[in-house]
Amino acid sequence: MKVNRKLLQYIVLAAVLIVGGYAIGQSLYHPSPVIAKGSSIPDFKLVALDGSVHDSAAYAGKPMIINFWGTFCPPCREEMPALQSIYEEYGDQVTMIGINLSEDKVTVSNFVQQVGVTFPILFDRNRMTEKKFGLRQYPTTFFVRPDGKVMEMLFGLPLKEEQIRSRVEALLATS
Amino acid sequence: MLFENTKCECGHQNPVGTVLCEYCGMPLIEEIKTDPASPLEMRYDGMARRSQKSNPNLVDRIWRFFSSVRVAVWLIVLTLIGAALGTIYPQESTFINLKTSEEFRNYYKQEYGTMGEIYHALGLSRVYESWWFVGLLVMIGTSLVICSLDRVLPLYRALSKQQVRKHLQFITRQQVVYQGPEPQDRMAWLDKFEQALKKKRYRVWRDGDALMAEKNRFSRWGPYINHIGLIIFLLAILGRGVPAWNMDQYITLYDGETQQIPNTHYYVKNEKFTVEYYSDEELPQSLKGTVRPKLFNTRAILYECTANCDDPSKEPVLVEVKKHDIRMNQPLTYKGLSLYQFDYNDKPKLLSVSPVLVDKTTGEKYGPIHLSIRDPALTYEAGPYTLTLKDKFMDFGGFDSEGRPMSKSREPNAPAFIFIIKGPDLPENGETYIYFPNQIDKVRFGQDILNKALVDKLELRVEGMENVSIAENASTLNVRMDRAMPFVWTGAGIFLFGVVIGLYWNHRRIWLRFDDGVLSLGAHTNKNHYGLKTELAVMMNKSGIEVTVERLDNRRKTV
Repeated sequence: MKVNRKLLQYIVLAAVLIVGGYAIGQSLYHPSPVIAKGSSIPDFKLVALDGSVHDSAAYAGKPMIINFWGTFCPPCREEMPALQSIYEEYGDQVTMIGINLSEDKVTVSNFVQQVGVTFPILFDRNRMTEKKFGLRQYPTTFFVRPDGKVMEMLFGLPLKEEQIRSRVEALLATS
Repeated sequence: MLFENTKCECGHQNPVGTVLCEYCGMPLIEEIKTDPASPLEMRYDGMARRSQKSNPNLVDRIWRFFSSVRVAVWLIVLTLIGAALGTIYPQESTFINLKTSEEFRNYYKQEYGTMGEIYHALGLSRVYESWWFVGLLVMIGTSLVICSLDRVLPLYRALSKQQVRKHLQFITRQQVVYQGPEPQDRMAWLDKFEQALKKKRYRVWRDGDALMAEKNRFSRWGPYINHIGLIIFLLAILGRGVPAWNMDQYITLYDGETQQIPNTHYYVKNEKFTVEYYSDEELPQSLKGTVRPKLFNTRAILYECTANCDDPSKEPVLVEVKKHDIRMNQPLTYKGLSLYQFDYNDKPKLLSVSPVLVDKTTGEKYGPIHLSIRDPALTYEAGPYTLTLKDKFMDFGGFDSEGRPMSKSREPNAPAFIFIIKGPDLPENGETYIYFPNQIDKVRFGQDILNKALVDKLELRVEGMENVSIAENASTLNVRMDRAMPFVWTGAGIFLFGVVIGLYWNHRRIWLRFDDGVLSLGAHTNKNHYGLKTELAVMMNKSGIEVTVERLDNRRKTV
């Protein structure tokens, strides 16, 4: 009887600790609805311009630059050559991908050819990836550490080559 | 701590904190013993509660804290205050367009001034998700479990091994008592009284010339059953915090459009959205002439993806699982998923056109070709001509910093298609032809001037509205999932069941014994003494002992 009583007490209190701890923990940790510095990038699996499928899981372990862009957004168009030249310079150390903002193949491939982009351009569908990333402005560029956490994000204004280079150097220094 | 002697004079060893001997019912606590006239404290049948323990350790202290009803009441009061504070201004969770803390702060400041700013800063704009509110709920749950266990187990033990022959003091100090000379034939009277009791659905036990009768013991479990219901209810509410249990999102679909519901394997199609308005005759005088929607209806189909769901390079294989007209309060529901009508927009959107290629010199027509606005094919055959899509703009009319033409947005506001046409009488490399499906854009951007090389030879032309496909409306659906709801309802149901059991039935017990020619009878109920007294008086009168209801009342003596 005594042993049972003790056991019951411990079981009840342990259950309270587990359930209560989980509930309170959940309330303390509410993931930010938008991606900010330090948060992990969401998973995505998208088709590239060449038809291949890119899975974000495969990028782990290498610093990454993700650029969201569209042909309808002037600064996106403007910064594309800068991104391309950084890709040519650092392409073997840094993963660079461009995610198009749910446009169609003709539009995208025309622009990509015009500019001479050679890094992978992925198609978003129905703005799903864009929503997952909580995008609020175009263009938005994420500089992601090898562990998948965002080091910095830049948006709105067209990026200059120097701006990108300094971030890439920072990414490479930490990895 | 003083050594407390818990051994009863009947020889039974009781646990510390026992009020009435577990065996014979004799009062054990000094303050009760000293006033023999006062009625007995009958809570939990005088059993020691779990938490009443000598030498408590830390776990015992925590246990004792939560076993206190006073603590429970305080927790409930604090929770109510917190919940009330959360209703002063709208909670953050009710806004779908605001996301960051900064946006919320600005909103509250703008909308409610300094008070709003303070409200947001104090975190009252998200009370129900706050750690302290959840913490209070967890503590109430703990208190419910421990309070119940602390009481129900001793009570169960007491009620399941009751002695028929009780201590005389136990009987004479009940709130309903009768004492009088014993009837002539003790045993015959007992038989008669037993018959009367059984008629009233009492269960009767006899031990020599002592008798005990009891009915509706189950009603004592009512409060504990309703506590179980409340615990399930609380757990379900906490369970809503688990992401997989709860979903609330919005999808906008044009007529005919199919989209995946994010983070699920379901796709939803809006076949057709319709909005009906009240006619003037239907409206009251004061509203005549105003536009009043009568019905929003989305003809929706829900699909489940069965293959290629995670491969974006392949078209997903969709299987229809449900078809439903979504209207106000008539959501499409499927396996816990609910799709509600939320909003609409009636800006038409061009989906596709099927123009023919006209040879202007002969008047001959080739085609039509089917041109999808969002996702066009790259080549088209029209009679002897081949059209290759070279570029496309959704919203023609902008130029970037280098002077290249560009779309102003990704919405098909002014779609433009640039073809290379090859065929008879055309240069080998083909001729460029710009096509604007919207008539207004043709004029605005001067299609004929842009196409001056071909303007007298060829023209892409849409003949009749049947060759144009337009989505008239877009419907916004609210997709919800709340897996906790069945548990909330179950908890609520059990709670009500417990309340009904506890409220509508009363646990009644009667004990009697004979001592030196005196019949002593005591009766106890957990609710409604009047009912018990009346019932007892009727039964005693039937058995031959005349007694009034008033005489049975033992409480008045103590007033």
